[in-house]
Amino acid sequence: MNGTLLNRETRELTPVVRGAFVLGLIYLFLVGVSLLETGIGDMGADVQESLFSSVSNPLAGLFVGVLGTVLVQSSSASTSVIVALVASGALSVEAAVPMIMGANIGTTVTNTLVALGSVRRSAEFRRAFAAATVHDFFNIITVAILLPVELVTGILSSAAESISSLLVGSAGTEWKSPIKGAVKAPVDWIEDAWSSLGAGGNALGVFLVVTGLVIILGALVLITRNMRRLIAARVETVLNNVLGRGGGLVAMAVGLLVTIAVQSSSITTSIMIPLAAAGVVTLQNIYPVTLGANVGTTITALLAALASSRPEALTVAIVHTLFNVAGILILYPPPGIRELPMRLAEGLAEIAVRRQAWAFGYTFLMFIIIPLAGIALLR
Amino acid sequence: MVLHLFRKSEDGLEQIANRTIAMLTDARHSFDLAHTALLSGADAGTIREDVHETDTRINQAEQQLRGQLVTHLAVHGTVDTAAVLSYTLLIKKIERIGDQVKNILDMTDEGVDLSDAPDVQELTAYRRTISNMIGEVADLMADHDEQEAAEFRERADALKKEIEQKIREYMHSDEPGHVAVPRAILYRYWKRIVANLGGVISSITEPLQHQDYYDEGATDIED
Repeated sequence: MNGTLLNRETRELTPVVRGAFVLGLIYLFLVGVSLLETGIGDMGADVQESLFSSVSNPLAGLFVGVLGTVLVQSSSASTSVIVALVASGALSVEAAVPMIMGANIGTTVTNTLVALGSVRRSAEFRRAFAAATVHDFFNIITVAILLPVELVTGILSSAAESISSLLVGSAGTEWKSPIKGAVKAPVDWIEDAWSSLGAGGNALGVFLVVTGLVIILGALVLITRNMRRLIAARVETVLNNVLGRGGGLVAMAVGLLVTIAVQSSSITTSIMIPLAAAGVVTLQNIYPVTLGANVGTTITALLAALASSRPEALTVAIVHTLFNVAGILILYPPPGIRELPMRLAEGLAEIAVRRQAWAFGYTFLMFIIIPLAGIALLR
Repeated sequence: MVLHLFRKSEDGLEQIANRTIAMLTDARHSFDLAHTALLSGADAGTIREDVHETDTRINQAEQQLRGQLVTHLAVHGTVDTAAVLSYTLLIKKIERIGDQVKNILDMTDEGVDLSDAPDVQELTAYRRTISNMIGEVADLMADHDEQEAAEFRERADALKKEIEQKIREYMHSDEPGHVAVPRAILYRYWKRIVANLGGVISSITEPLQHQDYYDEGATDIED
């Protein structure tokens, strides 16, 4: 019988094969986005109106963004869907912006759930729950500041529109997206396949939307899984080299780059929770990593926007990036304000350790009850 | 600055294995130094600082490796759980070797000097054997040769029994206390060092649940 250290060899894809597989999955993801856009476009205007009129209230849109992201546990997926909806013309940029902000809050549920896993071990739980909820508090405070500002001034969408028009042209026009051209053939095949099965009109639109959603979610899950394996050794080295020495901008850059690589902020932030629980890294070190992850996760929506010929899709994706960068610029540089999400997270963790039911209550209330109630009341 | 951190690097457990080997190299260095004072009559004062610095380095390496092992699990998931638990056990054993070496050096504080003792050749031969064994363990941790590891384990068990016999002899010896006691204590430290080396190697020869256990469930717990 072999010893433990001899039993490690597993069958692994070579990095080149895995990298090629990931490229194929990114292509598949873009096909999914384009299918979703095509499917919504195939539906009648009345159906589109009935589907999306409920999010004309910005707060309802915010809660839809939270709940939708909680359900798929991926802001990359939910923001890509939002971008595809904008690309189809069914959702306006104004309605999409609060949903994007909601997605930012919703994505924090994953690491909160991971932290709940150590609820029976008080000292670990205190550290883990604080590390998880610092992300919640940062995003909630950012939304509390930037959503009203955006609603009053439209500053984020205006800035994003300016950048978008510089890159691909003004809203209302069409730009010749090379990616859109590259994914056109498989989208047409799938549309033809559904048509040949007798689907048409709104039904065809629904089938294409469902197919697109399945492809987007499946591709993102596989991209994340494969990229995680592809760069795991490097991520491990980086975490050992950087986080042991402190936080700051380098840690933020690590969060950004790891998240861009794995296309999931949930993965980046969830990796940090066991490290926090064990006391290997401090809350001060984790905090900037989560902020970097916030920005890194916006790459997926930007990628999704490239599959569209409408500049508005890119505008929404850029809003997502600007929102997260603005949040960092507002909350991170001033030392007093920088501490606020950490103090709130530590306070909540302290309460959660004393009354564990509150930890579950907070999670349920924040990510399920409030969004559901908000949607029900405000739609 | 940040991007260079993402360049291709060795697997996390390879890094951990390499640091483990470095800990063993440090342990051997301390072991040899401490015995220079005890068996060759070198000035303990000049050796002490080096031994303590090396022991501090071993202790810090153990603490850092614990963090790295948690990071490895967090990043890679549960696939390497058994290996991580094995490393947790074996780095503790190496850390213990560092402590035991320090204890050997501390014997000189009590005025023990065996450099002119009639049995110094025999004691020096044991020292050389154990020092070589520390080096062998470091090599085996790098090579993971199961056959050689099993052979090492057998030799370590045999040496441990031989040393136990020595301890027993000194416990019942008619020699005066200042002769019998230092030798009984020295052999006792050597026994623990050899047992810890066997424990380190058991990570290569035994599945996790059997590591640290000798035949028929007898447990090695006297660190």
